[in-house]
Amino acid sequence: MVQYNFKKITVVPTGKEFVDIILSRTQRRTPTQVHKGYAISRLRQFYMRKVKFTQQNFHEKLSTIIEEFPRLDDIHPFYGDLLHVLYNKDHYKLALGQINTARNLIGKIAKDYVKLLKYGDSLYRCKSLKVAALGRMCTVIKRVGPSLAYLEQIRQHMARLPSIDPNTRTILICGYPNVGKSSFINKITRADVDVQPYAFTTKSLFVGHTDYKYLRYQVIDTPGILDRPFEDRNIIEMCSITALAHLRAAVLFFLDISGSCGYSIAQQAALFHSIKSLFMNKPLVIVCNKTDLQPLEGLSDDDKKLVMEMKAEAMKTVIGQGGEPTDEEGVLLSMSTLTEEGVIAVKNAACERLLNQRVEMKMKSKKLNDCLNRFHVAMPKPRDQKERPPCIPQAVLEAQQRQAEATSEKQKRKLEKDLEEENGGAGVYSASLKKNYILANDEWKEDNMPEILDGHNVYDFIDPDILMRLEELEKEEGVQQGLEADDDFEMDGAELTPEEQSLLAEIRKRKVCLSSSIGSKRALLRADQLFPGNSIKINNLLLKEWGDNYHLWVSIRVWRLIVPGVSLGVVKGRDPLIGIMTVQ
Amino acid sequence: MPQGDYIELHRKRHGYRHDHFERKRKKEAREVHKRSEIAQKALGIKGKLIAKRRYAEKALMKKTLLMHEESSTRRKVDDNVREGAIPAYLLDRDETTRAKVLSNTIKQKRKEKAGKWEVPLPKVRPVAEDEMFRVIRSGKRKTKQWKRMITKATFVGPSFTRKPPKYERFIRPSGLRFTKAHITHPELKCTFNLEIIGVKKNPNGPMYTSLGVMTKGTIIEVNVSELGLVTPAGKVVWGKYAQVTNNPENDGCVNGVLLV
Repeated sequence: MVQYNFKKITVVPTGKEFVDIILSRTQRRTPTQVHKGYAISRLRQFYMRKVKFTQQNFHEKLSTIIEEFPRLDDIHPFYGDLLHVLYNKDHYKLALGQINTARNLIGKIAKDYVKLLKYGDSLYRCKSLKVAALGRMCTVIKRVGPSLAYLEQIRQHMARLPSIDPNTRTILICGYPNVGKSSFINKITRADVDVQPYAFTTKSLFVGHTDYKYLRYQVIDTPGILDRPFEDRNIIEMCSITALAHLRAAVLFFLDISGSCGYSIAQQAALFHSIKSLFMNKPLVIVCNKTDLQPLEGLSDDDKKLVMEMKAEAMKTVIGQGGEPTDEEGVLLSMSTLTEEGVIAVKNAACERLLNQRVEMKMKSKKLNDCLNRFHVAMPKPRDQKERPPCIPQAVLEAQQRQAEATSEKQKRKLEKDLEEENGGAGVYSASLKKNYILANDEWKEDNMPEILDGHNVYDFIDPDILMRLEELEKEEGVQQGLEADDDFEMDGAELTPEEQSLLAEIRKRKVCLSSSIGSKRALLRADQLFPGNSIKINNLLLKEWGDNYHLWVSIRVWRLIVPGVSLGVVKGRDPLIGIMTVQ
Repeated sequence: MPQGDYIELHRKRHGYRHDHFERKRKKEAREVHKRSEIAQKALGIKGKLIAKRRYAEKALMKKTLLMHEESSTRRKVDDNVREGAIPAYLLDRDETTRAKVLSNTIKQKRKEKAGKWEVPLPKVRPVAEDEMFRVIRSGKRKTKQWKRMITKATFVGPSFTRKPPKYERFIRPSGLRFTKAHITHPELKCTFNLEIIGVKKNPNGPMYTSLGVMTKGTIIEVNVSELGLVTPAGKVVWGKYAQVTNNPENDGCVNGVLLV
């Protein structure tokens, strides 16, 4: 199987580069040290080696060029003709011929000079002969410079040719310019061909691939063809003709029934009839495109007649393949690439017919017979009427069921996405960020939390360890009180004089006053003690008084709010109204 | 646009990338520095090649610049001056040019007269005998030294028959025999590969002439029937003399100039 990969041809250097490459290689890879005193045989051998080596390199490089460029007679006729159309066979062959001649000339020069070197009798003479030999070889290459440049251009162009396999399943799209061939290939493949509203947008063959029944089909988009004599056709049109002539493919002939391409149906029919010899033995589908502009039914009688004539012609190819004459399906189809109506039907019809044809051909071929008698598809006959279902143990069945339940349960979990779907979808449903808070009481979740209050950032006043510190302070307080009680106990002696007792009372009074006004902390902690019974009442009063003005609001956590100048409220525990006192 | 031209396709669809031209400009601007770096670093034969190329470029550039520059040298008198209106001090000059032309024609004539006997290479380096010949020892004991081998290119006519090798004094090796020469026609300025008919004269001596040795300066006769030259009488010339201008034994070919 020949592979048509023109991308692997090695780069052809220009004449100048060629010479540089070869000469520097000679310089690098042959010995460079030589002296006058050497024996003459050694001198001769030294220079002969240089001449031979250079010639070998030239030969090698030129041979790769000659071998790697495809020989137009040996490759598939499709490629042979395509390359002829694109690059002109004569020119191409001439260039390769020149390279071949150059190779032979260089071989001859090397032979001559090696012979002369044998008569060399001094270093100088040998060296002059070597210089002359290399110079003449380089001159030969310089002469074929234009051919090398031409081949390099061709190589670059060939590497970019679409890789079309001429033997695989192929669908070929042809028709007048601007009838929607490229739009169609864009619809059924990912070829991404440029589509423009002017004629000859597609200037070369384009290839794409599509699937039908798990098989890959190669779809080829061709440039538009005009109805004119073969000799007048330009290179662009000849590309399509080459493809039509040499590829065994399903042909889709595109017909613009609206006439918006600038050609009437009569003209398009004329083209069809003039190139119908190219459709022989190929599944042919006539596709009426642009039905969005002009439905097939709305055509005038003349046009309809033309279309029917073409259909009749197309039917002949069906009969030629040995199909049923009444099999009209898939010969004339209509579609619109704009609305994508009928596009897939066209593709399927073409693929189906191509597949049928190829299968039929294969069945007819001799090769298959050799294989066919080796195939046998065994279909055992049932020996009786008994049903023999597969046997599954009970335990396995249960395990399966359990697993199924487990998986279904897993799926049951409601996600935020499901909630969104239920509550009106995206945009309507707003997810609550608060609902997953982990709090002691679920009711607090929805409470509002002020962030700024009276120009203060609430967060600055949060102390998360307040409870702990409170406890510590209370402990300290308890210790101090205990000490004080001890003091009191000691001082409460009856041995004091009435004067002294009155003084003591005075001191104690002062102490109480002092301690109540010392620091906020201490005072706060005293709140319970100072207002043991009626603290709630006070708080209620305070709330009533200030609630409206200051929005004194107590929330889940422990807040300490400073109300300027007047009050300092402390709430602890869960009841919002446990202890508040005022401190001046 | 063929299918493979993805860069062109992309540009057609989306235009150039935003900094394309900026990058291009910068790259171009940097190019000189890059080239100079390479030129400074290149060693050996590569360095020589680069230096030669750059020198040629530079010379060409200077030349073009000079061409475009306003020349400071004196030029001819302006065209708008009427003809004949030449100041007295310039009248002299006209005469001299006329005199020059006169002397030139005389010289030309003299040259033509002498030209018949003149050759492109009037002087040649004398070639010593031991350079021309290699002594070959012969005899059973290799004691005899009367044989000579010619180390220069020779012409041997097609009708030459060897003497019996034992008695052959001068050996002309077949590897050094030439039958064709590259002859340049000095007036047509083109070179032809012509057949050699014979050796007319070797400046080193009549012996070499008779042996057909071709060294630099030798006059040879070549077959010019390809050129289609005719004598004034209308006959086709087929044999013409030419002088060898190179050292055939060193170059591996015979080059010469046709004597007209």
